[in-house]
Formats: sequence, C-alpha cells, structure tokens
Amino acid sequence: MRRYFAICALSAFAQAIPSDKQLLDPAWINEGRRQYRLACGGCHGNGGEGGRGPNLADGASVKRAKNERLFGAIKNGVPGTDMPGFNWDDEKTWQMVAFLRSLSAPAMQAIVPGDVENGRAIFHGRGQCSGCHMIRGGGGFIGPDLTDAGATRTVKQLREGIVAPSDRIAEGFQTVKTVAVNGTKLNGVVKNRNNYSLQILDEGGKLHLIDAASLREINLELKSLMPGDYKTKLSAKEIDDLVAYLARQSVRAEAKW
Amino acid sequence: MVKQFLFLTAAIVLNAQVKHEDIAAGPGKNWLTYHGDFGAIRHSPLKQITRANAGNLVAKWTYHVDNALKLESTPIVYEGVMYITNSNEVVALDARTGRRIGRYLDAHSQLRRVNKGAAILGDRVFFVTGDAHLVALHRSTGALLWSKQYADPSKGYVATLAPLALKDRVVVGVGGGDSGVRGFVAAMSASTGEELWRFHTVPLPGEFGADTWGKLNTDWGGAATWMHGTYDPELNLLYWPTGNPWPDLNNEERQGDNLFSCSVLAIDVATGKRKWHFQFTPGDTRDWDAQSIPVLINGDYKGKPRKLLLHPNRNGFFYVLDRVTGEFLSGTPFVDRLNWATGIGKDGRPLEIPKIQPNAVGIKNCPSLRGASNWMSPSFHPKTQLLYVPTLEQCDIFTTSGLPAAKLLGSLGGGVDPVPGEPGQFFLRAIDYKTGKKVWEYPMPGPGKMWGGTLTTAGDVLFAADDDGNLLALDPFNGKHLWHYSTGQNLTASPMTFEAGGKQFVTILAGTEVYTFGLFEPSPRVTQ
Repeated sequence: MRRYFAICALSAFAQAIPSDKQLLDPAWINEGRRQYRLACGGCHGNGGEGGRGPNLADGASVKRAKNERLFGAIKNGVPGTDMPGFNWDDEKTWQMVAFLRSLSAPAMQAIVPGDVENGRAIFHGRGQCSGCHMIRGGGGFIGPDLTDAGATRTVKQLREGIVAPSDRIAEGFQTVKTVAVNGTKLNGVVKNRNNYSLQILDEGGKLHLIDAASLREINLELKSLMPGDYKTKLSAKEIDDLVAYLARQSVRAEAKW
Repeated sequence: MVKQFLFLTAAIVLNAQVKHEDIAAGPGKNWLTYHGDFGAIRHSPLKQITRANAGNLVAKWTYHVDNALKLESTPIVYEGVMYITNSNEVVALDARTGRRIGRYLDAHSQLRRVNKGAAILGDRVFFVTGDAHLVALHRSTGALLWSKQYADPSKGYVATLAPLALKDRVVVGVGGGDSGVRGFVAAMSASTGEELWRFHTVPLPGEFGADTWGKLNTDWGGAATWMHGTYDPELNLLYWPTGNPWPDLNNEERQGDNLFSCSVLAIDVATGKRKWHFQFTPGDTRDWDAQSIPVLINGDYKGKPRKLLLHPNRNGFFYVLDRVTGEFLSGTPFVDRLNWATGIGKDGRPLEIPKIQPNAVGIKNCPSLRGASNWMSPSFHPKTQLLYVPTLEQCDIFTTSGLPAAKLLGSLGGGVDPVPGEPGQFFLRAIDYKTGKKVWEYPMPGPGKMWGGTLTTAGDVLFAADDDGNLLALDPFNGKHLWHYSTGQNLTASPMTFEAGGKQFVTILAGTEVYTFGLFEPSPRVTQ
C-alpha cells in the first residue's frame, strides 16, 4: 500500500522535475539549507554528516540516489526506518533535494563565488601553495596533488583544507621524522605504516620503503605540514578566490559553467 | 619546521628515470612493461627460485583490491614499487610487503571496464580508463599530469589494454569490435599526450584493402586493437594484433577478406605506417580475434637464423612468420578439436572446409568462439626453445542471426551454444616452433573459464595459471609439477617475477586479489 502511494507520488510530480541547473541555484540551495536546519539536522547532523540518521554528505546511498528518489524519500519517508515523510509543497521539497545534492557535489559542479584568476595568482604566488601541491605536473611533491581538486572534493572540503588543514589530514600525508639505527635521518609524509614497514615520501618526491626494524625513532606529527594560519594570512575574499580557483581544477574539461 | 620543509621542496631531487633502454633490456630486478620485455617472451633472468627449490615457495603477502572488476593486470615493478590496475584505477604497492603506497581512482570515467595494466617511462606511469582516456601519473606521488581522450565511447569505443610505452611515446589501442567500431592504433607523446599518429585497421573507400569489405560501410567494420602489441627495437616495428570483423558471426554484408581484421600489423613506430600485414583468418565468422600475443624470437629456422614471430591463433593454428617481411613460414594445428580447415596453404591462407560456416540452423565448429588460445600470455624459454601456450580444446554450436546487426548494441550477428556432452578442457602445451609439434602437455581439469598466462625463468621454472584457480610451477623441460597454490578464484591474469630487497618474488593477480610468493624463510621477530 505504502509502495502504491509512493508510485502515485512519483507519477504526480514526474512532469515537474527541475533541471540540473535549477538544482544548482544557490538561492534554492540556501532555502533548502534553511529548512534542513529546522527539520533534519536533529537526526542527520547540521552538516549532514549523520547521527541518528544516515550520513547525507558522504553516504553512498544518497550520492547514488536519483533526484526523484530523494524527492520521494523526503515527501513520503523511508518505509521501515524512522525517517518520516514531510508534507511540503513540491518546490520546497526540490529545494531540499538541491541542498542534499550540494552536500556531496564535486566543487566543479557547484556555483562558487570568487575570482578564479586571482585565486590562481594566490596559489602560485603569495599563498605559496604550489611549493607543496602540484597541478598538472607543476608544483611540489609533498602535499596532495590538486589537478583534479574540483572533481574530487566538495566546496566545503576545499575551504576546510585551506583554513583548517590539521582537522583532517588527507590519508598518506601525515608528517613523519625517522632516525635509522645507523643514525640516518629522514623527514617526509608517511604514505602507509604498520609495525613492520613504513612507506615514506620525502620532500624531493622520492619514495623510501623501510623495514620498521631498521629504525631507532619514528616521530609522527599530529599537525599537518600545511601552515595553519591561512585564515589570518589571507582575507575572506582571497580565500573565496582560492576556493574558486581550486573548484575549477579538473583534469577533464567538463565543468558545465 | 614548515619553513624548513618549504625550503627543501624548492631543491628538487631528481629521481631515477625509467629509460627506453631499461625497458628494451628486458626484465631483471624490475618488470617494466606488460610482458616484461618488448618481444613478449616473458622470460626472466632471475634464478633464486629454481626447479630444485620451487617446492619451497610460500605466500608472502596478499593485497585485496576493493571493488575489483576481475583483475587482469600484469604488474609493473620498478625499484621495489609495484603498480597494478583495476577498472579506472592504479594502485602503487610496496612490492616486498604489499602495503599500499598510493592509489589513483579516476573520478571522471564514464565506463567501468576491466584493465590489463600500466606502463612506465621516465617519471611517469600510464594507464587507460574504460572510456578511452590515456592518463599519465607521477610514478612516486601518483600526481595527475594529464588525461587525454583518444576515442569516443558514445561511438562504441572502450579501452582495457595495458599501454605500450617506448622511446618518447605511448601506444594504445581500442576495444569495441563487437559494437562495430572502426579499430585503430595510436601513438601519443609521453610528455604531453599529444597524438603523434593513428593507424586505422579498417580502410576507408579508396584505401588499400577497402575492396575486401563487400557492401559494409567501413566506417564500422570492427578490427579492434584491444590487446597490447609487441615491439622490435632494432626494426623499430610494432606488431599489433587485430580483432574480428563486424558483425562477428554474420558476413552477409561483408563478403571478402575484411582487411585488416584478424591480422597482425607491422607498423613503423616512428610514422604509424603499415610495413606489412598478415591475416590469419580472412573473412572471419567465428569471432576469432588475432589477439593472442605475437611473440618475437630470434632463432634458427630450417638451418637459417631468422627474426621470427610466433603466434598461437584462436583459429587453432600455430603460426611462424618472418617478422622482417611478414613472410609466412608455417601454420600447424595445436589443438585436436579443429574442424573448419584442413590446414594452412603455402600462401598462409587457411584451406577451409566448405559448408561449415556458421548458419541459421546452428553448426558445430571447432575451436570454439573463445578460441584455441586467446589473450592469455604464452612464454618462451631460451634453454628449451619451447613456447608454452595455454590451450583450450573446445567446440561450439555457431548460429547466425537473421536480424540486421545493430551497431553499438554489441550485436554479434549470431551466437554460440556449448556442444552437449563435450565440455571444453584447458591444457598447457609446450610447442616446438621449428616443427609446430607438441613436446609435452599438462592437462588442467576445470570449468574451461580461465584467462591466466605463463612465465619462464632462468631458474628453469615455468609458472602458469591453471583452470582451477591455481598458480603452478612446472618443469619447463617436461611439464612435471613442482608446486602449486590455490588462490580460490578464477585466474584472469598472467604471473610475473621481480627482485626487491635482494629476494626474488612471483606475483599473480586473481579475481580480487594480488598474490605474491617467495621462498620460505623463518619470519624475523619484530620488536614493538
């Protein structure tokens, strides 16, 4: 019976599915965010990262779900779970879909404020980002490659990576200093480690495959190698510009707007 | 601390570069190209593992590939780092321990397809995505350098092969021959991805061979190039195998030889021009791609030293060609179940038996559609002078379809069924190329579904996949069993060997795992 209603609901709005571009409209996303804070954050977390309800930002089921399915889940609830239906009008429900999409959408698909060219100048100049990060083969080795940053990260992740780099150090980029039994010192980022071996990338881009038994000291840093003061070193506008530049980095030129 | 790092970053340390000459020298400690060597004899000079001690081989590590799509990759190993591929993905592993160093997962690819491996040159690792982009990554960091589309998936093209890197370029091919694509081989600049040349395997009207296609529009035609070719650096020639003409089983529209389908093409690597071609199965109607590996050896043939090309074809005949000229030297059956031709004529053309072509009612043809051998790698041992060929004894009932073939729908123009009561069986066969005769064989009970290849070593060990998920070590002189290990999965890749930390290892990918073996030694104690 419930399924029957869901099918009816689907067919009722089938004519009024908004375009992909409409779902990227910042006004719609903001309206969706406002409603989300009122109705959804209690279970799914204010950032959409889950709680009593599933993670909506990184969860595969939301990422894979078609827009119509998200619409149906909001409108009708999810049978067999605590998720209730919300009897909002269609536009309001689609705004919520737009917000949910924005949580996990790659930055290149988002409409981002900021001056891309100025962001480029900061990345390669004053910000000194290219000392550690590479884009299309230009730049340093020790930080994550950003050639595809806009395709593989959300806007939120890009921004957090700039202003709070130590909050989430990317896998394989924890700083390590080692001293071998013979006294040789090596600094770098640890790509992987366990009790038996370490795989370290040094600042020159050379890999070192090391038996743990050959080391006297292994010192892991909890702070990212990346400076933590960009929030004060750069203005809010400059950070917007940098985010806008990174959001446009995609190895395939397929950003739609 | 941060400042110190930034300062050091500015002083770029130049890492060792993989040079063309390193790859051309063939495998040693490293394994630098899909087959280990450009000529695909797949023979390693390593000899810590021998006929005498192979019985002491044990598993050293296993790496599980998340979301693996039937792993078909032969790893590349350079300076202790192993590169394996999965669909749209490259993983770098510490080859001694199997610990992951890094992973590149393509965020863009529109198609998820199997992948046969990576290539390495300079400071770069190359691979293809399912939707036919050649991607270049930095070999130490995995940094994405460029991604170039070389074929259009909306026209039916896919890509699954390991690219072939040599000199300053990377050579690639395409799949999609069952969807009616027009096959081609292309060379792209290793530094920029810029296309240097493209050779189409199906000629357009007015071009050489266009009159061999009957009424078919040769903008279609098939003759895909989905398997890695081989290369002779002295002659500077590529030997690229081509696939079936399209539609696969129905030749009504394409009466004729259908050049250059089911062929090997000798292509000048500098210009992309055809030097010669040899077609194994003219006007094929059984999907007998020529994608078995063209193995290049220099050897004695009828008392004369010659540059040879050995090729066990899907059509059941084992061919020996002169690879300088393309001259046909011999073609002998290497399977017993063969009923479509009585032999190969002096001109290299099969002597076909009339009225055995696939038809609308269904007719038993041998070998099967899968062929007497396929892309699973054979190998050659210089000491035994034998070629080791995974061989399938199998027939199929071939039936053509009366429906018009639909492009892009994967239409084969027909289909096959197993012959009731006649299951197929794999054998590993050792073939003497001078006579075409089988010297020994190793039967492999199993479901007839494996795609695993072989490897020989200077330790006189022949490694091979069997049809029951086992990696085998055999005596290459007589085929006697030395050792086996059950991976618990169907094998869809070929074994390779390398040395790291002073020790020889053997690796094979299976289904969803990477397995690496070495000689037993007591585990060192680890203090925590």
